[in-house]
Amino acid sequence: MEMEKLRQLQKEGRYPEALRELFARARATDDFSTYMSLCRLRKKIEDAPQGMAGREDLRIAILGGATTDFLELPLKLELETIGRGSNVYCADFNNYVAELLDENSKASAFCPDVAIVLVTPHNIADWPAVGDSPQAVQALVDRASDHWLGLCETFHAHTNCEIILSNLHLLAARAVGNLGTKLPWDQNSFLRQINLSSSRKAPNYVHILDIELLSASYGISNWVDPRFWYHAKQPVSFACMVPFVRNLASIIGALYGHAAKCLILDLDNTLWGGVVGDDGVGGLRIGEGDAEGEAFKAFQEYLLLLKKRGLLLAVCSKNDEANALEPFEQLPEMVLKREDFVAFKANWDPKPNSIEQIARELNIGLDALVFVDDNPAERELVRQSLPQVRVVELSNDPADYPRLLDQSGWIELVKLTDEDMKKTDQYRENLQRDAFQVQHADYDSYLVSLDQKAVVREFEPKHLDRITQLINKTNQFNLTTQRLTRSDVETLARREDTITACVRLVDRFGDNGLISVLSGHRDGSVLHIDLWLMSCRVLKRGVERLLANHLFERAKDVKVQSVRGAYIPTAKNKMVENLYAELGFAPADTDDNGTSYWEIQVQDYKPEPVRITLSADDQL
Amino acid sequence: MNEDEIWLRLTIVIRDIFDDESIVVGPETTAKDIDGWDSLSNIELLVAIEKAFSPLKFNTGEVVNLRNVGEMVAVIKHKTIN
Repeated sequence: MEMEKLRQLQKEGRYPEALRELFARARATDDFSTYMSLCRLRKKIEDAPQGMAGREDLRIAILGGATTDFLELPLKLELETIGRGSNVYCADFNNYVAELLDENSKASAFCPDVAIVLVTPHNIADWPAVGDSPQAVQALVDRASDHWLGLCETFHAHTNCEIILSNLHLLAARAVGNLGTKLPWDQNSFLRQINLSSSRKAPNYVHILDIELLSASYGISNWVDPRFWYHAKQPVSFACMVPFVRNLASIIGALYGHAAKCLILDLDNTLWGGVVGDDGVGGLRIGEGDAEGEAFKAFQEYLLLLKKRGLLLAVCSKNDEANALEPFEQLPEMVLKREDFVAFKANWDPKPNSIEQIARELNIGLDALVFVDDNPAERELVRQSLPQVRVVELSNDPADYPRLLDQSGWIELVKLTDEDMKKTDQYRENLQRDAFQVQHADYDSYLVSLDQKAVVREFEPKHLDRITQLINKTNQFNLTTQRLTRSDVETLARREDTITACVRLVDRFGDNGLISVLSGHRDGSVLHIDLWLMSCRVLKRGVERLLANHLFERAKDVKVQSVRGAYIPTAKNKMVENLYAELGFAPADTDDNGTSYWEIQVQDYKPEPVRITLSADDQL
Repeated sequence: MNEDEIWLRLTIVIRDIFDDESIVVGPETTAKDIDGWDSLSNIELLVAIEKAFSPLKFNTGEVVNLRNVGEMVAVIKHKTIN
């Protein structure tokens, strides 16, 4: 019935509407038949003139020792639900070794941004013999993991692409029963060792898809349908296809900056059982001694882990603020404390308003938010009013919440930096800065009193993770919105004709971390600025001026005559459209895509003082 | 379940998978007769049939050897009766 409505929209050519509906349905289902119907409908829209032209920005190659054709449509759909179009190339079955090694192969010629390499236990050439010594088994473990990582290395050298390598599921049928856990040569012991070895040795550009965990989570017997493996070399059963594809897409999403930055949480029946306004603090279910209370506590423990690894937490609840704060103040069973949240909205406004306000306060986009609320009506309201905000479809049982949040695929990570783990502190320090600013009569005296110190450095190996992360998640203060992989950044750092700079900023309230990145290349007597971006945490602090001053110093060093900058407008970077004008650049030309170019003679640039002390202290 | 019911339910599944309400199938209908029926959608079809006639399960030999809709109906009939 619901499908009929979608088909109707498609037939009437109302594509944007049909696609929006279709993506929401796709997100809400784990059922492969439903999912495939959505894929086919999506394909019809794609094939229609002007259906979804211009959306194919990511190039993805799928290779493996199994059939991979079935992945193309679901992966494209799943990526579109997070706003990425893609062009997918599926290599022929079991031709992956040749395709990866040969630099003239179809896969190499396709020039993928991301290659997915799927291997299964069937692709293992040499298994240990019964009774093999631990040393002999170790040699075979290394042989298997080195073989696959070696293929990845060669392909990466040819294409510079990011690679997702699957690890291996275990086998349900055991030859030595439970004793196998103690015997290195046992098949499952062997598979586990290969998985560990691959994870340990994987270089930066190889991201492991944890099939060992996924298959365990859904049950190995459900994960593989041996009938269709024997018949068609289908590596994953249809029953588990959606979670499989969703995990693949979430890694790709995280690689390209689509992972969530902040979770917005409801309180009543989301963080604790009961309604604090009605039941009172004493009537809430949280903590030991009550089954539901324990489930809520476990959810809070999970959220605390997410917070510690860098996800921001915020509250959005319909409550009187005093009531909403009481459990945090009075109940020792509460795992989460008030200070774990970077924003706390407890009021009677419609939730979309509060959510927009949180996004403004934190200076992050709506598409970086994930909304978690047990009330289906609130979820629907947020979905409809703020389509960019991602909404987790919770069940009505708190015991499911942690798993459902993980399965959304929106909180995936490809890299964890030191900055991530300090994130909540940094946002809280920002709130202190805001309060401090109010005490100062004028902005300049506020800046002076902040006692800012900065270190400016070229890109160095130890910064590359953070630089890559900043490049891929910064949307607002970003002049060209070029997304680069870590390998791209590494290449950039090595190039002779390139000037790179990154800034770390410290002030009296704490360390802001590495917050701005710039790079340009020399072409004759002109220096072209290719990248210039800055975290919105440090807007209006003078960092852009500091970096401009630095850039022109460097321009003199390398003896160029002029500097040329580009501004590529996006939906989000309007705040920097006048940056070059403010720095004294003159408008040069504009191309068909709306990109404006700006130029200035090096000698004409007038450095302006900033309220930041340059430090040589190399802690960066 | 009698044979008429099997035909009825199977037709619904086939129409749904191949997204065409006008599909009419008979005992001699094979993959060649239906647009989009390839090796991939064949697996999808078998899984969908298992779901529609749950707890029906095709065995490995049947997965490979079912050549036309008539044979499918025969297997479903045999398995749902016993």
